[in-house]
Amino acid sequence: MTDEILLKIENIVKNYPGVQALKGISTTIKKGEVRALVGENGAGKSTLIKCIMGVETPTEGRVEICCDGIWKQAKNAIEAKKLGMHANYQHVNIAGGLSIAENYHLGRIPKTQMGLVDWDAMVKNSKKIIDKFHLNVDPKAVINSLPVALQAMITISKISVNENIRLVIFDEPTALLENDKVLILFDYIKELKNQGISVIYISHRLEEIMEICDSVTIMKDGAYVETKKVSEVDKDYLISKMVGRPMADIYSIKHRKPGEELLRVEGLCGKKFKNISFQLYAGEILGFFGLVGSGRSEVMRAVFGVDKITSGRIYIKGKPVQLNNPKTAMLKGIGFLTEDRRTDGLALIQTVELNTNMYSYDMISKGGIINLKKERKRAEEYKEKIGIKTPSIKQIVNNLSGGNQQKVVIAKLLCRDPDILIFDEPTVGVDVGAKEEIFKLIESLIQQGKGVIIISSYLPEALGLSDRMVVMAEGHMAEYFDSKRLKQMNEEDILRAASTIYNQEAL
Amino acid sequence: MMRKLVAISRPEKENQVHGLKNILMRTEVSMILVIALLFMLATFGTKNFFTAYNLTNILKQCAIIGVISIAQTCIIITGGIDISCGAIVGISTLMVAMGQAKWGMGILPSMIIAVTVAVICGMFNAMLIHEFNVPAFVATLGSQTILRGLIKVISNGGTISGLKTEFSSFASSNLLFLPKLAIVWFVIAVLVFFLLKYFVFGRNLFVLGSGKEVARLNGISIRKTMYMAFAFAGLLYGIAGVMLAARINSAIPTAGEGYETNAIAASVLGGASLSGGTGSVFGTALGTVLIILIDNVGTQFGIHSFVMQVITGGVIVVAIVADQLKKRKAG
Repeated sequence: MTDEILLKIENIVKNYPGVQALKGISTTIKKGEVRALVGENGAGKSTLIKCIMGVETPTEGRVEICCDGIWKQAKNAIEAKKLGMHANYQHVNIAGGLSIAENYHLGRIPKTQMGLVDWDAMVKNSKKIIDKFHLNVDPKAVINSLPVALQAMITISKISVNENIRLVIFDEPTALLENDKVLILFDYIKELKNQGISVIYISHRLEEIMEICDSVTIMKDGAYVETKKVSEVDKDYLISKMVGRPMADIYSIKHRKPGEELLRVEGLCGKKFKNISFQLYAGEILGFFGLVGSGRSEVMRAVFGVDKITSGRIYIKGKPVQLNNPKTAMLKGIGFLTEDRRTDGLALIQTVELNTNMYSYDMISKGGIINLKKERKRAEEYKEKIGIKTPSIKQIVNNLSGGNQQKVVIAKLLCRDPDILIFDEPTVGVDVGAKEEIFKLIESLIQQGKGVIIISSYLPEALGLSDRMVVMAEGHMAEYFDSKRLKQMNEEDILRAASTIYNQEAL
Repeated sequence: MMRKLVAISRPEKENQVHGLKNILMRTEVSMILVIALLFMLATFGTKNFFTAYNLTNILKQCAIIGVISIAQTCIIITGGIDISCGAIVGISTLMVAMGQAKWGMGILPSMIIAVTVAVICGMFNAMLIHEFNVPAFVATLGSQTILRGLIKVISNGGTISGLKTEFSSFASSNLLFLPKLAIVWFVIAVLVFFLLKYFVFGRNLFVLGSGKEVARLNGISIRKTMYMAFAFAGLLYGIAGVMLAARINSAIPTAGEGYETNAIAASVLGGASLSGGTGSVFGTALGTVLIILIDNVGTQFGIHSFVMQVITGGVIVVAIVADQLKKRKAG
């Protein structure tokens, strides 16, 4: 690391309709510095990255990178690349239908003298990169045929094909990786650093930050908190600054003794999971943890009748049921908060009122005619009860902040008063305040004797809320922890279970 | 029950309509202003605009396009589009004329046949779109071509006349100074308004238009809603076809040609978004009036009909661009 500054972030503000995602972030990054960026989900880390990379235009402020003594600003992703800025985003973003070799050479495919694609050269070049990252895979393999962890590594290794790299951003690169792959990544980061390339490293795993980063910038609710040298801080310090209060508090909800069995799933098999069995009892929270691609969401989609199952049985309150479509599941008393509220949870361009009621219009209508008075009353009631912050129930849901949108989804489910509630990533894109309110809501639900399943990829949350936990890996139930065992587990144990490798053929 | 939770999150940005500027921004208000302007211009600028004959004529034209546009709006709300509407109107017109002139049917049976055929056509569209996953645009373009061909086959390419006098006199008679055709339009508009506002079916159209997955995961049967929407649209096209047959007192093979453009334009002018999820009966009715009025006023001022087509097209493009700009501003 030198003292030469590479990147200047000056007072970045980013407004979205109804929410201020960034509230004036300023910091500078030196050449060859590895800077960690930490903050809770919704703290604005990803938005900041997008502003740096020119994918989003900040409402105010500027980001400048020093290119051979001249300060330049990237207006879009292509310019960013030209300026030597590269980002490895949270989701695997490579062309899934193409081979590894083609992905490495996208946009600069070598040609033979005849002007045809020079496959030999492409494979040879690719082999070098693959070996460098110890991946042991055929360069001609198509991305989609590879396990997710390997896809993630290909995405990371793809950065190394670029020339004149100045800055590399890693957004949660290890979420999908096993331990040995993490070490390979760390070696690569060290190599970048030695070449004088700066790195921005985002991770929820604070141990990694302690190991690989020079300095750390803490963000909270879209605001800049502070930047410290890693040698000056410890994990507890970071957590207290990220959350603004000790971590344990936010998850400390009142649990109760579980009651009767509400849901039993036996030997459920589907396209992306195999042999899943579990029970859900009244008044408990059953956690489902797994890395991205482990099949946890797919299991729940199948239970809700969205995706087809190939075999297995589902019982609700001891009675066998056939859940062929979401409507049947809905009528049998299941409420499902989906992973992505924007694509399938909410009618985004409709009002809060319609969204609150749309899961239960049959309950407030007779002969197909809606009781408008009840419709309005219910929307007003839930707006008050769960604190949906909106100027009116006629507001378009798209204009609400993530947390309030999520509350509308919950209001929608509660209008039906289902006994079984499945929450898939209930706090994604939700700010800390709203997060706490959602947890309080879940607390009141289990006190009423509802059974709640929570899927979370955020370990502290999954661990902090669950009474019992199922851990999934590559479509299998890797581990089950009853309440006694779960109490003795720490994050590492769970993560180890979630990283179990299965023979792909078995699925 | 749940206790009220402490409010921690930040307050939402106000997005409600405030002030004169924003009132003018509302689609309906701006359209009423444009319609009023055109009306004044034509009344004081030309001799023959503000006459009972011309005004009645405008209303009759509005009535038929108006009914079709309302049906089109329902389809657009679901996120679909119906290119075949003009052709379905055409086949309905043909059926009612054939029924009365060739098959010796009474007025009511001939009307029932016409409307039934139109409903079946709508269901056929729904089948193509839902069962075979054909995009609505392509599916209805295909059925439009089939229907236009069928019309020519059945009619032998000729005009069918000889409709019953009691039938065609309905189109030329008035009730309380208003053409009966226009009254049919008003009644249908009110009914569909209530359908969209008070019925679960109506709400489902809006949810479906906001996203298919949203609808499915909220327990709405996409199949049922699609079939019902297209069958209902077919029903309205059928009625429009009967109205058209009465008005021209015959069935010509080209009946209803080009109506799809007017119907889609009226819906979009009235605030329906082609990406689905929005649209209103009132807006569409205003859109219909605007389109017919532009054409009529142009003719009154002696603008050549070729030029009028350019102007009408221009108005539609401006409306769509304005809609997009408004959306971009709203984010």
